[in-house]
Amino acid sequence: MTTQAPSQSVLTPTVGRVAKRALFWVAVAAFAILIAIVALATAGSTAGGAPLDPESAAPGGSMAVAEVLRQQGVDVVVASSLVEARNAVAGVDDTTVLLYDPDGYLDDDQLREAATLARSVVVVDANFTQLQAIAPNIAQAGDADTELTAGCDVPAAARAGSVSGEAVGYRVIDDSVGTATCFGSGDDVFSLVQVNRDGVELTVLGLTAALTNERVIDSGNAALALNLLGAKSTLVWYIPTLADVPDAGPATLGELTPPWVTPVLLLLALTFVAAAVWRGRRFGPLVIENLPVIVRSSETMLGRARLYERSSSRLRALDALRMGAIQRLAVLCGQPRSASVDEVVSAVAGVTGAQRHVIRDLLVDTIPGTDADLVTLSDALLVLERDVAVAVRP
Amino acid sequence: MAVSGRFVALVVFGVAPIVLIGQPWALLAWLLLVAALATLDLLLAGSPRAVRLSRELPARVRLGESVASILLIANPGRRRVRGMVRDGWSPSAVAEPGRAPLDIPAGEQRTITTTLTPFRRGERRAAHVTIRSFGPLGLTARQATMIAPGTITVLPPFNSRKHLPSRLARLRELDGATSVMVRGQGTEFDSLRDYVRGDDVRSIDWRATARRATASGPGLVVRTWRPERDRRVVIVIDSGRTSAARIDNEPRIDTAFESALLLAALASSAGDRVDMVIYDRRVRARVQGATGAELLSRMVSSMAPVDPELIEMDWTAVPALVRSITSNHALVVLATTIDAPGTSRGLLAVLPQLTRKHMVVVASVTDPTVLDATQQRSNRDDVYRAAAAERALLDQSRVAAAVRQLGAEVVTAAPQDLPPALADAYIALKAAGRL
Repeated sequence: MTTQAPSQSVLTPTVGRVAKRALFWVAVAAFAILIAIVALATAGSTAGGAPLDPESAAPGGSMAVAEVLRQQGVDVVVASSLVEARNAVAGVDDTTVLLYDPDGYLDDDQLREAATLARSVVVVDANFTQLQAIAPNIAQAGDADTELTAGCDVPAAARAGSVSGEAVGYRVIDDSVGTATCFGSGDDVFSLVQVNRDGVELTVLGLTAALTNERVIDSGNAALALNLLGAKSTLVWYIPTLADVPDAGPATLGELTPPWVTPVLLLLALTFVAAAVWRGRRFGPLVIENLPVIVRSSETMLGRARLYERSSSRLRALDALRMGAIQRLAVLCGQPRSASVDEVVSAVAGVTGAQRHVIRDLLVDTIPGTDADLVTLSDALLVLERDVAVAVRP
Repeated sequence: MAVSGRFVALVVFGVAPIVLIGQPWALLAWLLLVAALATLDLLLAGSPRAVRLSRELPARVRLGESVASILLIANPGRRRVRGMVRDGWSPSAVAEPGRAPLDIPAGEQRTITTTLTPFRRGERRAAHVTIRSFGPLGLTARQATMIAPGTITVLPPFNSRKHLPSRLARLRELDGATSVMVRGQGTEFDSLRDYVRGDDVRSIDWRATARRATASGPGLVVRTWRPERDRRVVIVIDSGRTSAARIDNEPRIDTAFESALLLAALASSAGDRVDMVIYDRRVRARVQGATGAELLSRMVSSMAPVDPELIEMDWTAVPALVRSITSNHALVVLATTIDAPGTSRGLLAVLPQLTRKHMVVVASVTDPTVLDATQQRSNRDDVYRAAAAERALLDQSRVAAAVRQLGAEVVTAAPQDLPPALADAYIALKAAGRL
């Protein structure tokens, strides 16, 4: 029994050392996050944003128009629901409402209300149902030309002169109401139709591109946009959203579940993590050990057997069996080690009383043609050995 | 740091207050409570880093036997260390139990007893000790691993010692010390004595009889012999690549060790001097000039750490190696493999140099599965395997014949039978006076 020297040192690093080692990477991560924040803040978003969104700097947005209008002293109010638009309009008389509903969130009643919110309403890119609701005397007329000239006396259009960009056209199908038409593409198709009805000046504008950041500086686009939208002291920029869709139907799953379900699920997930840490925490490092090589000695024999088998070396295999058998038979018959095959054949024939040529065929001459022959001959060899062993037994 | 099952239970128990309160903030409150308790527990746990470790363990153990390894853990800190300890023995040392509970009050010392039952020969090591110290609540633990090396040498089992008594009895018969009448075949002249009835008449020394002739009668005198003594036995064990092969789940080198130990025990009690060397391309172990009980003990400790190397045995250096051990006539036992003519070429090339001066015995293990395979011929696959087995046996017998032709003896047997077979060969050579 020997006491071995306690040359003890602790392998597990202390909390301080772990913190010190992690410090560099923590600093790297913090720096990366900082860079990302700065980059996001300065570069802004280049992509995304809804079309004609007055807060989007994307090519399809309309931040440019909105900002210029603000600089010109127009109070631009962004509304994303009819309620907000109503609130923005309330109490202010001198207001323009811009309505752009490409997704068709509003139903007919809401459209009609939106179209009469103020004295001046601009409906951009109205589709068939919207026109049916707010201006049944105007119909859609497909795509218009991309280069258009005003050709009318609506002040904003006249000042713009000409506009460019993708546009849709409208056709006036009922002249009974006073209408003004501008930017014609021929064949009575116009991209700006103004209707005065019940004291509301409703402008149906098909020149969507003229308001976007991308095209606003082309030809007279900016003049049209600023004059049309900046005529009044307040502009309510109303783009309907999901909030305008009246909610109906049965209560959702989220409304039906009690409030504690989500916290309990979270807690169970945390429990799973805790259990994983509990069972998974290693009790000290592994102990390393060199393992010995394992070489099974019969592998060469098995390998040779498979080589014989794959190459169908029946004669070679049978010869090996015969040589072993002849050696054992020679010993059984009392022949010396140096005895020739013929001597062994004679001795075996003498002991068993079989024909000499039969023994010779079995021990030397027969060539196996198939694997079945090989198995038969090998069995015959075993039988012969057994017979000789029985015959020579005293 | 580690957490306990109690900690997990505490976390999951939070379901009750959260459901009762029914508000999402209850989750946060519960998590804060759990975190506070866990931190408190962690702060109150005794430091596992501060403990002092020492080991008490025997230097050696025979393979297959168990031994107790004692780990002394002293707690010099001011807080109780309570938790678990794991003694990091390598897997082949088979330490039981792997982890033990621990409870050391401040300023006291405890012992942890681990039973080792190694299943592999050589040096078995313990690398480190890991202690997990729980706080008073048993929620969280501090964990630290300390380097605490320990080494135990696992000796070859020497299972073949069970054959020793019968072989020693055979030796005594040779010696004439027992009453059994075995004619001393040894060639060493011992003494003259009076003829008694039953003595071999061929051993009558007529010249001495003539000198002693008196009037009283013929007074025949016979010569007596005793077996040769003080002969040299040199055992060379091959630790090259062929010795790594396993037969009956025992590497060839282990069988060679068993045979060498039995032969050494036998020869040293017969009065011969035994030297052993384990060699592949360099001398892996050497025992020279040891006698009596010291011989076996030195042999087993030098064998213990030797494992087969995956390199070819360098036979050309063996004659010089034998010459460096003895320049006189000796019995040289080569424990190696004679399997195939190709691999045995090196051995056959140097055998004449050895047989010119020494009595050489080549001991080799045969594979009993090969012999069995020759009789298994029930289907096509078996027949091909039997053919390959016959071919292997033919190769072996060819090499054995070549070795015999070069003047050396061959001893081959299955792993269990090789040690007694080699001992019998030694006794036969001794009886024939060929040492």
